[in-house]
Amino acid sequence: MTFLKILWDNLRKGPSTEAFPFGEATTPAGYRGKVTFDAATCVGCNMCEHVCAAGAIRFAEADDGLHFVIWHNTCVSCGLCAYYCPTKAIKLSNDWHLSHLQQDKYTQLDHGVVAYKRCTSCGDKLLPTGSVLTQLAYKGPNPRAERLMDLCPECRRKASTRGEAI
Amino acid sequence: MNFFSTAAKKSPWLYRINAGSCNGCDVELATTACIPRYDVERLGCQYCGSPKHADIVLITGPLTARVKDRVLRVFDEIPDPKVTVAVGICPISGGVFRESYAIEGPIDRYLPVDVNVPGCPPRPQAIIEGIAMAIEIWAKRT
Repeated sequence: MTFLKILWDNLRKGPSTEAFPFGEATTPAGYRGKVTFDAATCVGCNMCEHVCAAGAIRFAEADDGLHFVIWHNTCVSCGLCAYYCPTKAIKLSNDWHLSHLQQDKYTQLDHGVVAYKRCTSCGDKLLPTGSVLTQLAYKGPNPRAERLMDLCPECRRKASTRGEAI
Repeated sequence: MNFFSTAAKKSPWLYRINAGSCNGCDVELATTACIPRYDVERLGCQYCGSPKHADIVLITGPLTARVKDRVLRVFDEIPDPKVTVAVGICPISGGVFRESYAIEGPIDRYLPVDVNVPGCPPRPQAIIEGIAMAIEIWAKRT
């Protein structure tokens, strides 16, 4: 008589089919979907480009800054970029609504610009050192090191030799 | 004849071509069709075994050099009009196999693609979303 129990259970639970596409689909919180990029916390170390298994990430230098481009149509959502990103500027959201028509194939891009700063001493361009990175390096605010953040590597080296560094 | 075209609009038949796929996307396609949780047949579609019956063709895999001629031959057997859906990043861009000597894809070099469903593999809901887009195109084409 076990079939009666199964029948009753099935009647009680209702259909197991998900409502999607006529309703919302359940998505696990840790689902690896579309990659998101935050240019404000990126420090331009290029680690994500280096580890990207499918070559979906490209960095290109321009006059205004470092341009980050990801093409979602070749991203395998492996999560290596998010794992190796020191400042967690690159993350995998749980957005999986990526289906698109063929004419939109080459517009499935995310683009971000890590703007260059100017060296306060010589005016040369330099990549900004985000507050997340200083937190990682010094485990807290470090006023002496922060003075050097606005200098380009060359001026920073000179300032360190003069004894202005930590 | 009118009845048949009205009916065909609402019940496209799906056909699956494996163009050298790793089987990840094929497993997801089987999941989409076979398990009640996703149940693609709610949309009025059904998988068929012969390319001659197909309306919507789902292609997986990066189109390897070895399988290219066979895929093109099977694709030519599918009667027009048809809607092509590229499932997974491999047919769309080549994915991790891109620029390999063994790969002839991306698939839109050889076949007219209508809908792309990226993912490695795409989850069943994403495939259903892509099939829903294909059904819209199919309704316009018939």
